[in-house]
Amino acid sequence: MNPHDKFDRVTRRDFLRGAAYGSLGLAMGLEGLARAGQGSAFAAEKPLAEVVLVRHEAAVDAGHQVNSAVVVEMLNTAMKSFTGESEIAKAWQRYFRPEDNVGIKYTRCSWHRIHVNQAVLDAITERLISSGIARSRVAANDFGLPVKDCTALINVPTVKVHALTGIAVSIKNYINFTGNRSSYHFEGSSKLGETWLLPEVKGKTRLIVVDMLRPYFGPGPQINPLHQWDYKAILVGTDPVAIDTVCLSICQKKRNLFKGEEWPITPPPRSLAAADSLYHLGTSDPTQIKLTRLGWDKEPLI
Amino acid sequence: MSRVLLILLGLSLFAPGGARAGENMLRLPEEVRGWKADGPDKAFTRKTIFDYMDGGGEIYLAYDFQQLLAREYARPNAPRIAAEVYQMASSRDAYGVFTHDTDGQPVSVGQMALYSAGLLRFWKDRFFVRLQAEDETPEVKTALMTLGRQIASEIPQSGKTPSLLMALPSQGLIEPSVHYFHTSVSLNIHYFLDDSNLLDLNSRTEGILARYQQSSDKPYLLIVRYPKPRDARAAFEQFSRAYLRETPAGNAIFRKLEKGQFAGGRWEQGVLLLVFEAGSRASAEKLLELAASKMKGVTP
Repeated sequence: MNPHDKFDRVTRRDFLRGAAYGSLGLAMGLEGLARAGQGSAFAAEKPLAEVVLVRHEAAVDAGHQVNSAVVVEMLNTAMKSFTGESEIAKAWQRYFRPEDNVGIKYTRCSWHRIHVNQAVLDAITERLISSGIARSRVAANDFGLPVKDCTALINVPTVKVHALTGIAVSIKNYINFTGNRSSYHFEGSSKLGETWLLPEVKGKTRLIVVDMLRPYFGPGPQINPLHQWDYKAILVGTDPVAIDTVCLSICQKKRNLFKGEEWPITPPPRSLAAADSLYHLGTSDPTQIKLTRLGWDKEPLI
Repeated sequence: MSRVLLILLGLSLFAPGGARAGENMLRLPEEVRGWKADGPDKAFTRKTIFDYMDGGGEIYLAYDFQQLLAREYARPNAPRIAAEVYQMASSRDAYGVFTHDTDGQPVSVGQMALYSAGLLRFWKDRFFVRLQAEDETPEVKTALMTLGRQIASEIPQSGKTPSLLMALPSQGLIEPSVHYFHTSVSLNIHYFLDDSNLLDLNSRTEGILARYQQSSDKPYLLIVRYPKPRDARAAFEQFSRAYLRETPAGNAIFRKLEKGQFAGGRWEQGVLLLVFEAGSRASAEKLLELAASKMKGVTP
């Protein structure tokens, strides 16, 4: 039996009733889902995964320019909160050692796409170096990252609703490691989780830092400026499925606000459900996730 | 001399040069209101579209994309402008890909156009054009509109819209909700129905999705035209069984579903008509009846 068969023929009705794709419907806050017996979303008392979300009003100005100094401050705040360390160097040393070769896998594309801001990459690189890793041991790239030589990876995605995948955050960020990107867009992109289990990738991801300064919630694939907003957030975590689920929930709420009615992210992010139940990369159940929100609190959407 | 870019229709060939050659060509201006062509032009075919748009090429291929020309414009101390000209196999497909994203303010460029905060999109004949600025300023907006109109004027003729549009009842129609498509990839972006192509959509099927305002309800109307009547019937029966979970007794079926909303369908000849999220069975039946009636006067 093909392991993907468990997802075969899922209809809109199945999804909206919560009878398919695990708890993604709950994460999306869709109307009509059964809620009985379920805990509060993103407020788990005994969480399987923790995510820290830091926002800062000054992170992006009115002209959509990113403030590098503020980004550094946000990343420091997120890392301290996530690790519980009071010193920033110690926070990073929890995940990286001086002998590590660290690969920073980010999303690079032209200015008219959704790409990781340089300020975020610079902040991560500087934090790694100041925590004791030689600059020569840090590589940052999208295509061509020497992943085989890396002993540790930092996954640095952007956030965008995706016409084929539903949502593209940390799980999809490794698609370039496959060498056959387009093949992963079939079957509702449900095989994306497989990219995390490639021999040269598996077990290397120590940290995920999400650039959610200016996420995208429209149908794509290209930017309609009406569908991009200055959320001004950085997220930190280690569970890719939990992180993507948090981002999914935020984008879904933004879509609803934009249309003034429920505007479900479609197609449903089958890849996220599969990453949980098939590839066991983490949890997509919002009741098993603890989200810590810090900083700017305007329209948090979660 | 201004640079001339040629798109030879039917051939995957872009020919930079100085003179206008061939009767079917599209010329992009070298300069618009101080913005000058900057960097090499890039051309992409069906095989190379993913090099330009990884993770998005499928959307254009679903509309029988043929080739793309991409150019950037720059002006000192001003936002950059990216121009993308997509040549599709037919005007129906150019219209279809235009309806992929209908959020924006209608403006007068080409046959239909939308403007939104530094993005101008329009279609004319077999071409779909996107002009996107890095940021929006009053000058940028003027430049985008000028550039768009100049490109549109290079497209010698208008193209036909899909004839299926004629089947849409006009009363209550929410115009920006109209999407034209061929495959389930496109349908599922606008209205996720299922993940295994329940309606057997393919490159030879034509579909149109539209939404209606009926009192407090906003039902969806979906019309699909199949190459053969038996395909429409098979899709109708499959939809009835798999989605409505009922075996149809005739050529029409309606069921009350979640949230008390009604869905239903009917097939006639090579056409399948479906309705979703109707407030009552009567309103669902009426919408389908109106569409079926109008469909009788529509030829492929």
